[in-house]
Amino acid sequence: MAAGTDIFPQERSSGLSWIGSVGLHAALFALAVFGYLIPSGRGENWGGTDGGGGAISATLVTSIPLPNAQPEAKNVLANDSKGLSQSQPKETPKEEPEAIPIPARDTKQQGKQKTSAVKKTPPMQVTKAEPENIVPYGQGGPVSGPYGSFASGATKGGFGFQGGNGDFGSLYAYYVDIVRRKVSENWLKYEVDPRITEARRVYIDFDINRSGQPSNIRVAQSSGIPSLDQSAVRALQRIDTFGPLPTGYTGNYVSVEFWFDYRR
Amino acid sequence: MNRFARLFWTLALFTSLGAQLPAQDWIRTGTGLGVEKIRLAVPDFKAAATDADTKRLATAFSVTLWNDLQAAGIFDMVSPSFYPLGIPGAPQDVNLSHWSDPPPNANMLVFGNALVQGGSLAVQGWLYDVKNPQSPQVLGKQYRESASEDNARTIAHRFADEIIFRLGGGIPGIAESKIFFVSKRSGTKEIWQMDYDGSNQKQITRVSTMALSPHVSPDGSRVAFSAVSNAEWEIMMYSLELNRLVSFPRYQGANLSPAWSSDGKYLAFSSSRSGDAEIYTIDVAGGDLRRITDSRGPDVSPTWNPKTNAQIAFVSGRTGLPQIYTVSSDGTNLVRMTDQGYAVSPSWSPNGQFLVFAWVRNYGPGAPGASDIYVMDVASKQWVQLTHDGGRNDFPSWSPDGRHVVFQSNRSGRTQIWSMLADGTQVRQLTNQGENTQPNWSFK
Repeated sequence: MAAGTDIFPQERSSGLSWIGSVGLHAALFALAVFGYLIPSGRGENWGGTDGGGGAISATLVTSIPLPNAQPEAKNVLANDSKGLSQSQPKETPKEEPEAIPIPARDTKQQGKQKTSAVKKTPPMQVTKAEPENIVPYGQGGPVSGPYGSFASGATKGGFGFQGGNGDFGSLYAYYVDIVRRKVSENWLKYEVDPRITEARRVYIDFDINRSGQPSNIRVAQSSGIPSLDQSAVRALQRIDTFGPLPTGYTGNYVSVEFWFDYRR
Repeated sequence: MNRFARLFWTLALFTSLGAQLPAQDWIRTGTGLGVEKIRLAVPDFKAAATDADTKRLATAFSVTLWNDLQAAGIFDMVSPSFYPLGIPGAPQDVNLSHWSDPPPNANMLVFGNALVQGGSLAVQGWLYDVKNPQSPQVLGKQYRESASEDNARTIAHRFADEIIFRLGGGIPGIAESKIFFVSKRSGTKEIWQMDYDGSNQKQITRVSTMALSPHVSPDGSRVAFSAVSNAEWEIMMYSLELNRLVSFPRYQGANLSPAWSSDGKYLAFSSSRSGDAEIYTIDVAGGDLRRITDSRGPDVSPTWNPKTNAQIAFVSGRTGLPQIYTVSSDGTNLVRMTDQGYAVSPSWSPNGQFLVFAWVRNYGPGAPGASDIYVMDVASKQWVQLTHDGGRNDFPSWSPDGRHVVFQSNRSGRTQIWSMLADGTQVRQLTNQGENTQPNWSFK
């Protein structure tokens, strides 16, 4: 074999080659770590929340501290929500028999008409068994007591209050309304990932001190969607104060468990 | 200590701690439950005596209180035709079920009495939660001032602000705030002042050349404005406490549209001392002049972000037609907010989230050319149009509660000052005489 025809070329014994090697490795490392900085001509983000740099006309986010023009709560008596009692098994109305024309004098026709007048007995429909007296949450009608039920837009809901030794909710319902109104106003739904259409509830716990400032904001139960959890936490962080706690309340602070229902 | 003793004492410690923790009150509520406006019933306050003075002042008080609460934008006022007969003057007169049942169907009740005795007006007022018979009282207040109609109105403003503060989520009411504006009714354009509802209009400056774009300081002690002096536009400062002009640095060129930061430490204004109109900031004493913008094309009408005082929104003609931009107060991070048309006069909302400005979205020959008021969310650039009447609406300014906007409009024929809620409803005219422009709402 002649010299110089090796498959693998001999390494040059120059001392500078290792510098070049280190330099190339460093460049590779830098590319791997900082490669995101290289602008890559990404296309327009259609319908993205950053608006693509332009201004978008939209129904305004609700943090102007005016109450939303929510639709009037449906008449709690005359709506179609199920009442407290369990519903009866649904009976489909029996089909009307086909109108039998006045029989003509022709006896041959009578026979045909009789066969077509057979009534169909509809199958009895039984609702899915709700074994106990439980009214599914949010579907009950109005209840007496320190509870409330509202209908607003597509969502229905109810809330109940539990006090420790006091019934804050029943004594100071106006303050609960203020808390609910203010948090709803400051919740910017566009902060949630636009691909989400529906999500589980996220429960946020926080405390309100005597001057009305929220503190100690924590996610008690996540919805599983980080952007939704974050938007809920930010809604509370945006609020400076709810207004001083009612003067009749003697505690130093009140704890709030607030849930956020997201529906796009 | 042996093992059991240690265990015993540990257990004792923990159980004693547990016993001392108070049972904590919890509120559990959530979104989607309907946020209706509070239904508020405000019958006239009872005149506690039968003399004419008491009746007159009680009426003035009641009318002002009603107007303040209705203008607040957060209440659904129960119509007086639904009220039960008989005016309650004191807590023992009140029958809660009469107010909470239909037809009034109120959530809250405001009532009280007024009495003039020995030249002083004493007013007692209560705010009751009629849905809560166990402990209905939310507020109970007592006021005493010397007897006059102005004081009756002032007391009504104060009481209304208290009610709004309690029921409106901790945001103080605006019933005692003032609006500063430019009026030509004295012959030349001067700075005037009025109450938020248009009453008590009075002239402030007498420069007798031309005074424009008033901006009152956050503590309400001074008004900064631009005026012609020796054929130059200068920023001038008028002290409302001393009732005269106080000194302020003068610069070459045209110096216009001063704006205060919400901490009262800095002023931003537009100056063409370098030849081209740029935005500058200066501290209140007149030192530390800094230039914020640096581009060809006029940069005017700055307004600070009152929440952070770290951003300034302004109007720039660097691309041709004027557009709204925001920039950090050190000049970095320039962001363009509007994308078309002719946008001027930005004002930043007190919670730092919104800009209100005047915009002609379709500008140019053949376009309708109406100038309307728009609100834009700074973070997302989503906007909403507030006025739709096709006239010229300009120079909007936010109220300190972030719920109202005052602006100038020529919809009545002459340019007058109007105010509305920040969702475009409840538009009302504040001025009638002469020509009135460029309103600025005080900080508190």
